[in-house]
Amino acid sequence: MLKDVTIGQYYPTDSIIHRLDPRTKIHFTFLYIIILFMIDNFAGYVMAFAFLIGITLISKIPLGYIVRGVKGLVFIILITVFINLFMTPGTPIFKFWILEITDKGLEVAIFMALRLIFLVTGTSLMTLTTSPIALTDGIEYSIKAIPFIKNYAHELAMMMTIALRFIPTLMEETDRIMKAQKARGADFESGNMIKRAKNLIPILVPLFVSAFRRADELAIAMEARCYRGGDNRTRLNELKYHKIDLYAYVIIVLMTAAILSTRFIFNW
Amino acid sequence: MEKNRTKYLTRVAVLTAIAVALMLLEFVIPIFPGFLKFDASDVAALMGTFALGPIAGVIIEGLKNVIFMGLRGSMTGGVGEFANFVIGSAWMIPVGLIYKKNKNKKSAIIALAVGAVSMIVFAAAINYFVMLPLYAKIMPVEAIIGMGSAVNPNIVSLETLILFGITPFNIFKTVTISLITVLLYKRVSPVLHKNM
Repeated sequence: MLKDVTIGQYYPTDSIIHRLDPRTKIHFTFLYIIILFMIDNFAGYVMAFAFLIGITLISKIPLGYIVRGVKGLVFIILITVFINLFMTPGTPIFKFWILEITDKGLEVAIFMALRLIFLVTGTSLMTLTTSPIALTDGIEYSIKAIPFIKNYAHELAMMMTIALRFIPTLMEETDRIMKAQKARGADFESGNMIKRAKNLIPILVPLFVSAFRRADELAIAMEARCYRGGDNRTRLNELKYHKIDLYAYVIIVLMTAAILSTRFIFNW
Repeated sequence: MEKNRTKYLTRVAVLTAIAVALMLLEFVIPIFPGFLKFDASDVAALMGTFALGPIAGVIIEGLKNVIFMGLRGSMTGGVGEFANFVIGSAWMIPVGLIYKKNKNKKSAIIALAVGAVSMIVFAAAINYFVMLPLYAKIMPVEAIIGMGSAVNPNIVSLETLILFGITPFNIFKTVTISLITVLLYKRVSPVLHKNM
């Protein structure tokens, strides 16, 4: 059961998108989400779609990976389409028994489905092309700009890096503890909810104890190597904006302007 | 905290890792509408709040959501994760503040009760004013209510959805998680205090 859970979606290849600075990609994704909720016409969706396809092609990620992300949502998308299709009032264009499709319903259903699909593909494109460590670096640099948490940017990013490093280890450990307790006759698969919750205790106690032990050992190891927080710390890989990032920002701004301008130019 | 900054940092980090691991194993309880997911990640945040204070709890809640979004992508463009963070913080802060003053069993139980109430109230408010309007942008309100009324016929509007769908779920969630945490913390805390 634990083996089915894949950690992260990162798809390593060499493409322009992969080489972009993580900050560029984070800012782009943020903007893209906002834009998606502001599109109100067909032309805007066509542009957003063209842009998404363009990035996918450049990023050299197999389409299957992106389709897989949408697959989990097929059910929700279908419900959304179905309900929008039949429940939106408007001029009927098709009638069968009590089911009635209106022109407005068709329009809303298509738009909602597109918005949902674009939202998922857009965000997963970022995680597919950026390794978790690069993402953490990008977040550290990005939150340095926020005045309130500026001084803790390094600590927060360090915690994130350590957490990312330990997730697979701890999941493996959970698996091992479960097997050990099962071997002793523990039962995790029967009983009502309260009983199941209580059955978690024999797993969680060793898990937390060993996690705290690991944490304390790690702290000693870090201090032994003179770790003393973010002040004056140098890093192996400095994030630096390159020329392609500049081009990317220009393209992002142009795309935003183009998509938003459709709000005023097209009425359909 | 200042005296042992590195240890604080690594402990919060490892607790975050547990929280994410538990979140990845989330499972849906059939008596509630499908979009309410039950995950035990708040156990790790509560443990952090008890052991390291309210700020640690808030950090765990925050990082957990950021990492989870990075690993799995977000269906709501980060708004769902942000709501989870705010609701989790509304839970951890009162627990941490009350338990910090008086570290005994009675105080822990009062802290958990106050925290649970705070979480339920915040969750209802945030769902009503932020989450449901947002979901309504992706799918019609009737669909959301429909998903609720499929399991509980009393759900006919947004207000009743919160009252009969979300609030009972949160009561169940806070009670179960608080119970697990109390049982757990009692057994884990000797190890904690030995080394800090």
